Amino acid sequence: MSNVAGKAQALNVWTPTRRKGIENRIIFWVLPRFFKKKLRGLQTLSLIHYARWVIIAPKDFPNLGEGQPTEELRHHYECFLSNFNGNWDQYIDSFSMSLGTGLDMLWFKNVGFPNSVPIEPFHAYINANSIPTDHYYSAYPLAASNDVKAAQRVRDSLVTLAGSASGMSPKQFRQAYDDTIRKHQDDISRLDESVIVSLATEAVQNQARQEAF
Amino acid sequence: MVGAGGGGRLPKSSKHYGLTALCPIKLGTAPGRNSSYEAVVRETLAGLDSHERSPMARVPNTYLARLYILKDVFYEGRSQQEHLKSQYLFFGSDFHGELEPYLRGMWENIEPEVRLIWQHCVAFGSSVNSAESFVDYIKKCQVSNTFLFNGSNDRPLAEQLKGLYLKQEFGDFVASHQGASDDELRSAFLSFAERVQVTKLDGPTWRPGAQTLESARTHS
Repeated sequence: MSNVAGKAQALNVWTPTRRKGIENRIIFWVLPRFFKKKLRGLQTLSLIHYARWVIIAPKDFPNLGEGQPTEELRHHYECFLSNFNGNWDQYIDSFSMSLGTGLDMLWFKNVGFPNSVPIEPFHAYINANSIPTDHYYSAYPLAASNDVKAAQRVRDSLVTLAGSASGMSPKQFRQAYDDTIRKHQDDISRLDESVIVSLATEAVQNQARQEAF
Repeated sequence: MVGAGGGGRLPKSSKHYGLTALCPIKLGTAPGRNSSYEAVVRETLAGLDSHERSPMARVPNTYLARLYILKDVFYEGRSQQEHLKSQYLFFGSDFHGELEPYLRGMWENIEPEVRLIWQHCVAFGSSVNSAESFVDYIKKCQVSNTFLFNGSNDRPLAEQLKGLYLKQEFGDFVASHQGASDDELRSAFLSFAERVQVTKLDGPTWRPGAQTLESARTHS
């Protein structure tokens, strides 16, 4: 069981909504359409690869027949999934700081939601409603979401530079090369492996290395 | 990049697809085992290899994926307590592209693991025996996202991995060619470009799921 895949961490939170989640559905419909500025906090947060909120009505639980009983729930549930970098405390603190009270909108009036400030009850609420991941996979455990975005910018520029280098004089190339480096000085930092989070993780990594040879 | 479907119908933001599926697990005790089906599924998930050896590393265009068991809903102590009647295998995947080709690719590349993971889910054994029936099955289990957020990009995975490979290699190149003359620099860069094959996505590049620089670089 692991919520961690290198630098990516998984979070699964299930919370009951009030009034069939109608207000929550409205908020999630309105936010991206009319309050894009509010969401810029999420974009600039730069800790998140991908995230989603799913409001699930009792009838949405799939029933495939073959004797499967029908769910009889009174609440509609809000399911939050996130793939983020760093540890949970950093994530939720940054989340709270970048969105401020906007965070309250994302769990608006969910049963027991204590609001995002003060932060301790909010931490406790999210922890109490989290489900551990049994299998978690990231295609790039060595990279944070910022690395993926920076890598794309570097690649796009290298395609241009490599395509024109052979037709340039050494002096012209120097100019183009320096321009590329200047443009990407924040993008070309080296990636390194994530810090060892536990001795058990280190043991697993060592074992995997040995098996690879 | 943010995407939210009208009424929560769209699971996509641009070319990033967020699949959310709840697959009901059979009730009762697994034949030949002194355990519930749910416990057997959990045991299977715990036994899957991780990182580059995860089955999901072989599914084209998978950015991130997770599997867990939803055993019950949460009670907050404030209203009437309620419980699920079934447990669900939760499958969430963030990937590039469209759902149907993605699921077909999943079946074609990891069919044995798909059968192993889903074998104790309701109606899987009786209805899934091909890529198309697997697509139909997961679509029946799919729930619509209400709000999907992309904090990264939505390029094909091969482009993302090639980008990471190039970022690392170019960083090394820049560090090791400080102070080079114009002639030396241009000549060295042409050799570098020939070696890293900037536009070639299938190699040299990074291996999907690699968690060490050593294993990431071996893919070429």
